[in-house]
Amino acid sequence: MGMLCLRNVDYSREGRRILQGINMTFREGMTYSILGPNGAGKSTIARILMGELKPTSGQVLLDGRDITELGVTERAKLGMSMAWQEPARYEGIRIREYLTLGGKLKVDGDEIKEALELVGLPYELYAGRFIDKSLSGGERKRVELASLLLLKPRYAILDEPDSGLDITAGELIEELLNRFRKAGTTVIIITHHEEIAGKTDFAYFVCAGRLVKKGFSREVVDYYRKTCGRCLFVEGSP
Amino acid sequence: MTIKVDRVKEYEALLDIYEREGLDTSLFGDRVAAIIISGDRIIGLNNVPGVEIKGEEIENGVRADVRIADGVELPFPIHLCTGYLKSEGYQRVEFNITVGKNSKARFTSHCIFPYAKDFTHEAISRISVGENSSVLYDDEHIHGEGVRMISRTEVEVGKGGRYTGKFSLTKQRARELKLEMTAKLGDGAVAEMTSKVKAVKDDSVEIREVLQLEGAHSRGDLKSTVIAFDNSKVNVVNEAYGLGDYAKGHVECHEVVKGEADVQTIPLLRVRNDKAELTHEASIGRINEAQLVQLMAKGLTEEEAAELIIKGLLGE
Repeated sequence: MGMLCLRNVDYSREGRRILQGINMTFREGMTYSILGPNGAGKSTIARILMGELKPTSGQVLLDGRDITELGVTERAKLGMSMAWQEPARYEGIRIREYLTLGGKLKVDGDEIKEALELVGLPYELYAGRFIDKSLSGGERKRVELASLLLLKPRYAILDEPDSGLDITAGELIEELLNRFRKAGTTVIIITHHEEIAGKTDFAYFVCAGRLVKKGFSREVVDYYRKTCGRCLFVEGSP
Repeated sequence: MTIKVDRVKEYEALLDIYEREGLDTSLFGDRVAAIIISGDRIIGLNNVPGVEIKGEEIENGVRADVRIADGVELPFPIHLCTGYLKSEGYQRVEFNITVGKNSKARFTSHCIFPYAKDFTHEAISRISVGENSSVLYDDEHIHGEGVRMISRTEVEVGKGGRYTGKFSLTKQRARELKLEMTAKLGDGAVAEMTSKVKAVKDDSVEIREVLQLEGAHSRGDLKSTVIAFDNSKVNVVNEAYGLGDYAKGHVECHEVVKGEADVQTIPLLRVRNDKAELTHEASIGRINEAQLVQLMAKGLTEEEAAELIIKGLLGE
């Protein structure tokens, strides 16, 4: 079984330690959440996984292979992809074109329609629209999630997939997880919402750059609910 | 379309270029008001009800008056085709466009200089948009590598009128481009002017866009996008003047640099009315990192991602 791992990952920026001794394992076909309060270092973990940031020390392993030095494109070619917390705007690029990466991703109209409609964007209304200021943050987020559905990666990292979305966010995440599970995709959700974390199989609770607890998501969420807001990165944390 | 008998060959040559470049050849049809210029000669002219085009051949070029009557709404664009089929020389064209009240018109202007090696094109357009009228002016260029282009457009928009100007030079080189667009707005008038230019090799590009928000509640947007490659030099000046009560203007300039290009942008905002409001936004330099990384996370290389982003920016 394939797996993606972080081994003893530290990350510092401008002399400030952001992550310390992070160990995580994401097994193929499972769904995970990385849960924690704002500023815990969750998005930094996501960016390290995707290769946008290099750890100060430690390793990123994919199926046992050290991919720490590989860049974003190389990791994407190995089957990893990510939906960013704040999806970029692209002037002059239509959603249809974006989803097919300018024609490089070979998907047909029906697949695009299905992906867009699954994330709540009617094809007829959205496929021809530009990914620019005319789309709200929530709409761009939905496009980003549709993009991952079409890419069918082995590992999908979703950074705060519910932020900027309306009241239907929970249902959407549930539906996405079902789709990804069926496709055998490993999902890693970055979130500070316990309800979202509760939808995944396993969870990691991160606080102040350190791993506090890991386990079945229900247990981790319970722990998070009880303890979050207090300083947790103390010696002897689980 | 009236085509002068001795100029049929030039007319056909232009038509061939339209076909080759994938431009809309239906613009040469009888239902479209048009003036077709080749060098210093008018080779085709067509008027339709509500539109009167009068052309005059002047030294090295053509002057044309275009008048649109009040209350006219045209189903087809007015076609202004300026061609130059020789490789060297100088051409000057002047368009005086007057749009009456409560009218709606679209202009498609094509500058076609496919064989230009050492050619200077000077274009002066004066556009008057009447009260509550709406004008869209789309300016596209198809030409060879050796063009020096000087283009000046002065627009006045009357009360409640709207002007949208689009200038695009993205498919071919702009060896030397001086582009100046000025819009003066009356009460409640609106203007949107966008320019998209790709500069390569040692091209020199100077763009100046000016928005005079004179009328109360007038609104304007200026937007320039330049992609500068190689050793090109680009200078963009966007000026907006807030003069009328509750006038509102926005100036935006994005310049992307690849290679050794030298680019600068200068926004100038000036308000002389405490009820007016002006804003500006500029980015200059390499392609936005977040845009690149997010596309790369989908499997594109940095070069492929940059290409897609630039293609979008230039509207190709």
